[in-house]
Amino acid sequence: MRISRRTSQTTSLLVGGLALSLVASGCAGSAQDQENEAADGMIAQLTFPAEVDATVGGLGNYNPYSPTPLTAVWLYEPLIVRNNLTCEETPWLATGATWDGGDKLTLDIREGVTWSDGEEFTADDVAFTLNLQKEFPGMDKAGLWNDTFGAPASSVTADGNQVVIEFEGNAAAKYDGIIGTKILPEHVYSEVEDPTTYVDKEPVGTGPFEVESYNGRRLTLARRDDYWQADKIKVEKIVQEGMFDSSQAALKLENGEIDAYYGDIPNPQKTVVDKDPENTGFFYAPAGTTVLTGNLEQEPWSDPAFREAISYGMDKESMSEKGIYGIMEPASQTGLKLPAMEDLLPEEYAGADTVLPYDPDKAAEMLDAAGYEEGPDGKRTMPDGSPLSVDFSVQAGFIDYEAIAEVVSDNLNALGVDTKVTASAPESVDEEKKQGSFNTVLEYLHGGCELARNLGSKLNSKQFPTEQDIFPNVGRYSDPATDDTIAQLSGATSREEQKPYLGDLVDVMMTEYPVTSLIYAPSRTIYRTDNAEGWPTEDNPYASGADDRLLVMTRLTPPS
Amino acid sequence: MRYFLRKLGFFVGTLWAVVTLNFLIPRIQPGDPAELMVRRLQGKDSQLDAAQVRAMRSMLGTPDGSLWSQYWDYLADLLRGNFGVSYTYYPFKVGDVIGQAIWWTVGLVVITQIISFAIGMVLGAYAAWRRNTRLDTTITLGSTFLGTLQPFWIALVLLYVFGYTLGWFPTSGGYSASTPGWNAFFVEEVISHATLPALALLIVTPIGWILGMRNTMIMNLGEDYIRLAKAKGLADRTVALRYAARNALLPSVTGFALALGGVLGGTILVETVFDYPGLGRLMGEAVQNKDYPLLQTLMLLTTTGVLVANLVADLLYGVLDPRARRAEG
Repeated sequence: MRISRRTSQTTSLLVGGLALSLVASGCAGSAQDQENEAADGMIAQLTFPAEVDATVGGLGNYNPYSPTPLTAVWLYEPLIVRNNLTCEETPWLATGATWDGGDKLTLDIREGVTWSDGEEFTADDVAFTLNLQKEFPGMDKAGLWNDTFGAPASSVTADGNQVVIEFEGNAAAKYDGIIGTKILPEHVYSEVEDPTTYVDKEPVGTGPFEVESYNGRRLTLARRDDYWQADKIKVEKIVQEGMFDSSQAALKLENGEIDAYYGDIPNPQKTVVDKDPENTGFFYAPAGTTVLTGNLEQEPWSDPAFREAISYGMDKESMSEKGIYGIMEPASQTGLKLPAMEDLLPEEYAGADTVLPYDPDKAAEMLDAAGYEEGPDGKRTMPDGSPLSVDFSVQAGFIDYEAIAEVVSDNLNALGVDTKVTASAPESVDEEKKQGSFNTVLEYLHGGCELARNLGSKLNSKQFPTEQDIFPNVGRYSDPATDDTIAQLSGATSREEQKPYLGDLVDVMMTEYPVTSLIYAPSRTIYRTDNAEGWPTEDNPYASGADDRLLVMTRLTPPS
Repeated sequence: MRYFLRKLGFFVGTLWAVVTLNFLIPRIQPGDPAELMVRRLQGKDSQLDAAQVRAMRSMLGTPDGSLWSQYWDYLADLLRGNFGVSYTYYPFKVGDVIGQAIWWTVGLVVITQIISFAIGMVLGAYAAWRRNTRLDTTITLGSTFLGTLQPFWIALVLLYVFGYTLGWFPTSGGYSASTPGWNAFFVEEVISHATLPALALLIVTPIGWILGMRNTMIMNLGEDYIRLAKAKGLADRTVALRYAARNALLPSVTGFALALGGVLGGTILVETVFDYPGLGRLMGEAVQNKDYPLLQTLMLLTTTGVLVANLVADLLYGVLDPRARRAEG
């Protein structure tokens, strides 16, 4: 009996404690929610998730050359912003860049820009940053000083408001990397011993925002009135806090606790937009293409006729439906993101439908014609009569890949090509790519603007995966003439000059089928419009919301 | 004495094996951290850019020398307390990263474990004492049912109901707007942020203890000395607490020490659901990013925790129960 009384005392204590913490949370909530009124035409605050998934607080670092700075977007700026969707260039810290041949690049540096500590920004800062990368190869993400994708630089010098980069040979393909370089203040970083390990606690940047506070979790950034294009920045304050999985993020978007999310929320239309169509939206900008890659050193993929035939047997609509809720469009076999990159398309393909239709009858005919005859059991054989089979390795846990792989395998089996899908850990699929021991995989063809480096690398025999790295030519497509075209393309400095070579690459894609394009792969933005309007959308696809955040910020306005 | 020496020897041997395995396992895993870092910044299955991989590799540095010399360097570094630099949190040292996270886990998990243990002992003992009453049935059946649920699932339900739908509690993090330190606002935030994760753990963790305690207690209640105590006319409470419960507690003490050491694994998911900045979440991150220096140190920390807890329990047992010493010595 007495025991029971004691237990109930304990229970009531527990309940009391709970009640107390309830009260406490009530207070915390109200303090958290207060927002300042914005001045006319301005947005008081936008809230985003934290940029890095490193959750341990108190270890703040803003060094843009560390792998995971607290923010990589708002403080330090690049020279030119080339948006990831349409490849259009917007001058930023440089007002222009001119190639003189392929071995000399002259950058015109913007005047009238100030660092957030009031110092003047000059061409010397740019030259300093680029030269620092020579001393510390860990900073050299563009490969400026080594021989990846073109000749290394020999000197970088500032002259008045210009910076001149001279190379040992043609280096045109390094352009994207160079213009994307985040410029550091010389008057701060020249004192730093090793900029790759330096912990930057008090960032001095040229960007639109400066750090107001960071408490180990919540990063608050305030708009700079003296920013060089301050008239375009309507957001007074940015708060970045927390790392959310898809279900958390969906709820937070629904509640208006965050204004944008850049991760994957399954079926955003149903999960987010349908619940509040007035105030929410999403834009999945194509960032590249999901492609079906056969090992060209193995049967049956070594035969271009086979590759061409099955390319007509792919039900891309159904892949989009099952893999990504029908959001992404079937992809063009050219390897280019269309229609965003339409003006890069060579004339012979302009206006043509380069998205291969789903036509199983045609595919079957082509297989017959190529000698892959159907046996009495409905299964095709190799032209020499030996059994034909496709071994498909897919990354377990990549749910979109797994769904697409299932459709591909159904399509192939329906054509009489005996296909077996094996799901294994992503690491072991990676290992198969390195060793070249896979037969068939799904992979990603990056739709970046430097085509020699993206589409080109997929087709370049110098870009085979090694034991150490999965370089892009996973299928091991090898053709000396194509290598030559890529070399020419990477040496070309203007779009006009690039076009004929690009035409040749597109030809290779459309006639040799080194990989089969399936559907576009997205760069995701799911956003709310009750605080800010002007996000890139289906109707106004001016940039990729997730990859071009700095550019998008200059377009955001308060809701009308 | 021999008993204690044997236990100590066993401890040192196991610790060496753990350290060695900890050294070897990451080195035989496929995958390259530099490549993974570049991938992480660009998204899953992204196309690797040769220049970026090169830069990253030169930043992180690659281990050199034979496996043997790496092993000796590793042991020497461990003795010096140098655990290397985390890849995820580069350029911060593993020690600093863990130093930040550990207090959250100690605060959340250790406290909930102690409360769970206490609740488990009391409820278990009570259910055994009033066995076969309606209350006993409720406790036993209830906990068997709850025991089938996963803490992270409960965490999701709590998050949805109390976090989003009712909005009573914050939904992520260990704190939010306040500045860490001894101020009222921070303490308030820590308590309100810890409530849901703590509840998620508190609903499930006591169950093992309840059932375990109830069973041992029932066994003990059938012993002759209990009958004797009752026959002597001792008060019910004295018999229950000082005789039966005290003896039944003994195996649970060992279990508790072990549970404290191995507690990290169970909290990975709960901490992840609540974006709670503790060691469990850190471990999840380390696994995901192949952050070997961080992962190795966390593994070392947990395994050493289990071993030390084991040793302490063994030694305590030797002190508490002379039979253990005699039987083995």
